Amino acid sequence: MIKPSNIKVIMLVFGVMASTNSMAKDKYNVDDPYESFNRKMYDFNESVDHYVAAPIANGYKAVTPDFLQTGVFNFFNNLKNFNVVINDVLQAKFSQSASDMGRLTMNTTAGLGGFFDVAKHVGLEQNDEDFDQTLAVWGIPKGSYLVLPLLGPMTTRSAPASAFDAATNPASYVSIPANYISAPVQFMSALNARANAEGALKFINEAAMDKYVFTRESFLQWRKNLESDGKVNMDDDLMADNVDDTSLTQNWRDYGKQFENTAQSFSSVARQFDHTAQTYEQANHKIAQVQKLHKK
Amino acid sequence: MRLKKLAILTLSLSSFYAASAFSQEESATARQIIDKFQTELIHVMKDGKKLGYAGRYEKLEPAVMNSHDLPKIARIVVGKEGEKLTEEQQKKLADVFTRISVASYAHNFKDFSGEEFVIDSEEETKNGGVVIHSHLTIPDDKPVKFDYMLKEKGASWRIINIIANGVSDLALKRSEYTAILQRDGFDALISQINEKIDNYAKQ
Repeated sequence: MIKPSNIKVIMLVFGVMASTNSMAKDKYNVDDPYESFNRKMYDFNESVDHYVAAPIANGYKAVTPDFLQTGVFNFFNNLKNFNVVINDVLQAKFSQSASDMGRLTMNTTAGLGGFFDVAKHVGLEQNDEDFDQTLAVWGIPKGSYLVLPLLGPMTTRSAPASAFDAATNPASYVSIPANYISAPVQFMSALNARANAEGALKFINEAAMDKYVFTRESFLQWRKNLESDGKVNMDDDLMADNVDDTSLTQNWRDYGKQFENTAQSFSSVARQFDHTAQTYEQANHKIAQVQKLHKK
Repeated sequence: MRLKKLAILTLSLSSFYAASAFSQEESATARQIIDKFQTELIHVMKDGKKLGYAGRYEKLEPAVMNSHDLPKIARIVVGKEGEKLTEEQQKKLADVFTRISVASYAHNFKDFSGEEFVIDSEEETKNGGVVIHSHLTIPDDKPVKFDYMLKEKGASWRIINIIANGVSDLALKRSEYTAILQRDGFDALISQINEKIDNYAKQ
């Protein structure tokens, strides 16, 4: 017999659990039923990035030579290729898996543990596969957009998938010679990733009028593009003169309504969501207050 | 190099809207339209520093207007919200739309380090449109895919959407513009676009 707690997890995974007020709204983004929660998380993450991550990443960039930054990126990217090979196989891309295995082996050996990307010079291109894409290939819908504290944008499908990816990434287990080294290694990976994201973040600041919407749409389209291995969607409905928001989203709207009653039964969980969001919002205000005090 | 690549990749995510009708329509295939536009972009990039922002803007304005169906793009990005706008508001939107499109191109295509556009293939869409698949090669970096969706207009073709590495500018803009219109209203949207144009000119 399925326990209620399991049902909650299933509902969350398939993105049908809605916050108490979002489904009731006449107009809502079908991909983002938790927008109220997500926006608060987004603001919180921005504050953390602004006051904590960015200063550390800038310091790292200032004291680390370019070749070393590239080497660190190559190192973690090479470890990630272990995930890529696994997911190649899970998606039945056997030819690609052979190529990616060759890439991993070559960079680990001739590339001195992955610090040098020698494989690209012999034509072994970097492929991008992860468990979320595997789930997409298996026919599991992407679910709803979700922003989690410190982890950033994802979907209700990619959130559990990323846990699988972490478990199959050797970087999660690097602990030579002692276990306490593991934490700094993970920190280094995150730091380098943040430093490399500087250009993209600068662009968002320059181009976006609503940074939250801009990030969400870019993220969802980028993920969709990865799932289709770069194939362009030739559906040009959006280019029609009389394009209608309602007709474009009607199917999704119907789909959402089918689950509305069920979702409402989990309103207490949804309230917890809102409460969590409020907590992070308060934390966000406190960070801003501390910053103001610091300036004074 | 990474920053530069990002800037080039994302230029299509923010740019490419200009307005007005075309007074001199010439017969051209979709491929010719893209080829001509990309050639002009490379020229502007090569002379980017010498031209400065104002010079790039001046050069790119006709290139953008002669390759994009800007009135149609403007209608699409505001979606159903556009029906609520008065005629005067629609004209105002078209005007700022023109300026931000050219401004973002002028801001992002500012220098040159050996980049080259290559047209790969073309395909017909189910509704009679054409998609031109192309990519931008960047020395010492990964190429950036640019897929242009065009519709026939008179004797020629015009760009309606640009998809850069899988991200559709039309869908992105539509989400942003309709969200702002619904939440903050028309004046706020115009004000935010103008602010972006000013920022592009300053940087």
